[in-house]
Amino acid sequence: MVPRGLQFEMIRSELAEIVGDAHISTAETDRLVYATDWFWLPQMWLDRGQEPRKPDYIVRPGSAEEVSAVLKIANAYRIPVIPWGGGSGSQGGALSVFGGIILDMKRLNRVIEIDEKSLTVTAEAGINGKQLEWAVNEKGLMLPHYPASANCATLGGYLAPRGTGTISTKYGKAEDLVLRMQVVLPDGHILRTPIVPQHAAGPDFFRLFLGSEGTFGVITEATMQLDYQPEARLLRALLFDDLTQAIEAGRQIMTRRLDPFVIRLYDPRSTASRIRKILGYELQGAYMVIGFDGDPDLAALQEEKAMDIIGRFGARDLGREPGEAWWNHRYDFYYPPQSLKLPWMYGTTETVTTYDKIERLYYAEKRAVEEGFADWDIDFIGHFSHWFHWGVMVYTRFIIRNPPEDATEAVRLHNRVWNTAMTAVMNHGGMVNEHHGVGLKLSRYMQRQYGDAWPLLERIKKALDPNGIMNPGKVGFGF
Amino acid sequence: MESLIAATENCRYCLMCRHVAPVGHVMHDEALTPHGIALVVASQKRGLLTWNAESVAILYAEPDAGNCRAHCVTNQPLPAAIAAVRAQVAREGLAPTVAYELRDRLREQHSLFGTWQPASGRSRTVLFVGDEGHNLRPDSTAAALRLLEAAGIGAIPVGIGLSSGYFASSLGFPALAKSLASKCLDEIRAAGAGRVLVLSPQEQFTFRQLYPERLGVAWPDDVELADLSTVLTEAVNRRVLNIRSQPSPAAYVDPSHAVRVPERFDPVRLLCARLLGQPPSELFWRRERAHPVGSTALQFTRPDIAERLTRARLKDATARGAVTVICEEPATLHALEGHAEACGVTVVDLYQALAGALC
Repeated sequence: MVPRGLQFEMIRSELAEIVGDAHISTAETDRLVYATDWFWLPQMWLDRGQEPRKPDYIVRPGSAEEVSAVLKIANAYRIPVIPWGGGSGSQGGALSVFGGIILDMKRLNRVIEIDEKSLTVTAEAGINGKQLEWAVNEKGLMLPHYPASANCATLGGYLAPRGTGTISTKYGKAEDLVLRMQVVLPDGHILRTPIVPQHAAGPDFFRLFLGSEGTFGVITEATMQLDYQPEARLLRALLFDDLTQAIEAGRQIMTRRLDPFVIRLYDPRSTASRIRKILGYELQGAYMVIGFDGDPDLAALQEEKAMDIIGRFGARDLGREPGEAWWNHRYDFYYPPQSLKLPWMYGTTETVTTYDKIERLYYAEKRAVEEGFADWDIDFIGHFSHWFHWGVMVYTRFIIRNPPEDATEAVRLHNRVWNTAMTAVMNHGGMVNEHHGVGLKLSRYMQRQYGDAWPLLERIKKALDPNGIMNPGKVGFGF
Repeated sequence: MESLIAATENCRYCLMCRHVAPVGHVMHDEALTPHGIALVVASQKRGLLTWNAESVAILYAEPDAGNCRAHCVTNQPLPAAIAAVRAQVAREGLAPTVAYELRDRLREQHSLFGTWQPASGRSRTVLFVGDEGHNLRPDSTAAALRLLEAAGIGAIPVGIGLSSGYFASSLGFPALAKSLASKCLDEIRAAGAGRVLVLSPQEQFTFRQLYPERLGVAWPDDVELADLSTVLTEAVNRRVLNIRSQPSPAAYVDPSHAVRVPERFDPVRLLCARLLGQPPSELFWRRERAHPVGSTALQFTRPDIAERLTRARLKDATARGAVTVICEEPATLHALEGHAEACGVTVVDLYQALAGALC
């Protein structure tokens, strides 16, 4: 944190010389608004009227060159720099835990080129996800990354934490869709990665920046793969009596490469609560939505083959309407007051692992959380939503409806729940996260997660960012 | 009022309308988004901020154009909530000085942009001209009346120069807004109107939604409210109103508040197509995502932002190759014309052009 006074003003002047006075703020109100992202802890902290840790400066660069110049100043003064896209991260990745400069990237919002032959779009990293989607839609194309945060997240925010969208099961994660990036390294050096990612011309350093969440540099531009907007989108809903059977049906569909764009499988508790609340269906069992898209004939054939598999597991076919209703209302879950909201305590302990481990992992985490926090009447729900050839992600959540009113007590309880959940996850072969990223929230688990590979990551961090200015406290790296 | 303000508790951490938030888009500032302003309000309530020049400037940077609510699945009345908070701030004497100046002008003149001329005469159908229609673009209003006459719809003007109460409400003066609402309704009643046509989606929103929701004033059950463009489109479709096409390309600019009256998106485009001999080209920021240009209090409280919004729409047009933009709404036309020349764009007034193309 930079103490107010001469040095503070000197740094402000230097930053203003780079971005212009209109694009820097040290106003108290702005600093408070930028003191929280979508992480439950800082939101709760503010909700309880507690003073948050605020950034010192909010800087809005308009080019990669301006980002570079800001980073050089930050190095000179050893000030933390925290890249900020839409502020929609749920892991505290955009929190200024040591004060410093919030680098709000939203001025970098141009679509640079849409290549209708190669089906790519190149855009600046601060562009809003939905606005980028609208731009490519006008050409009959889509960027097949549909996260719930698309209305607010930025392109850079898709990539930096390795995000996943609703239709990733067919189209891949954001990291699978990116061909090329422009990145500003912590020392201010601006680089472009090779023109395509799939090649044999040396090591794949490109991927270092995916998942680094601003700790290795700032993504300022990206070229993303597009697809034609599908001619057909076939959705239907199914009800399984048993979660085990439903997971196995999903596994068979994936390993036979039937290519669904979505399989969303709700556990019985989610089916009874979230599906009832948002879609209005009173159902018992495991609710699955499955969808196929693209050429109408191919999609119909894929669906038919998938239904053959599903039929073997005795699932009830609820038809198209509830599947389409889910598709049309899938983001309604995120609008308050329908969403989880304060004063409740909640967290998404989503994880991913291989098919042989996923069910044991899910039940182990569920048991650990439910038994460990029974006194708090904790609710544990989940859905399986991003499926791979080798495994699946489970989006598990805990909810405590009557958490401590005292903010400090609430932090302690929150972190105990997380420790319990993450310990169960790691003990059963899961990753601490599949798509929300690490941020501040999961930073403390990174050493254990990576084991003997962790020192390598630390060495890379030290080499790229010797002063440790880039987003300190996140992804397991200190300041 | 408190029940409206409660919306800020829902919106303070909700980011789901960010993609359509106009001020956030042109200013790139987290604090100037629906979420940011709601968080400022919530933080003031919790003692983390006080209302001072800096925080009040943020409070008065919200345009009250309805984009956030038009995209809210749970219909959170955030613009109304912000107006209610502004009312609290204004009562404490903490609103921007310009807000009090505008209040005084509205109290004295019942108009922000010029003068009010009390209406006379009686007619079943009336055209509510309003403050902006009369004082900013009287020729547009005259053209609108000529079109109605040509369509065989006998209508007299009411509310000539009279502010509907929208600006007073938006600036945080609900009592004044209520008294202006009474004046508007008195004129409509005095004319014996059973059908009120409006020139602007701002007025349609004000009568239909703002009056009951923010002011507790009911629109009379026996008075139909309709948008002029919709009525004229019906007349064109029935071949009662005949227009000579004047083929020329132009991009249509949805007026401010259009997102609050989505049923007029298509009719007004049909009118444009009839005039232009082809459908108008579309801007990126169109229809349900149309950003406001003029017709909000931002032009007074945050002219810097209002100017950026206007320039952004003109830039949107030029980026899509348009050299001519077309619109029907007086305040939007007025704002566009203020910057059009500098942006190399010609502005066409739809109603004036239609009146000039009557067969």
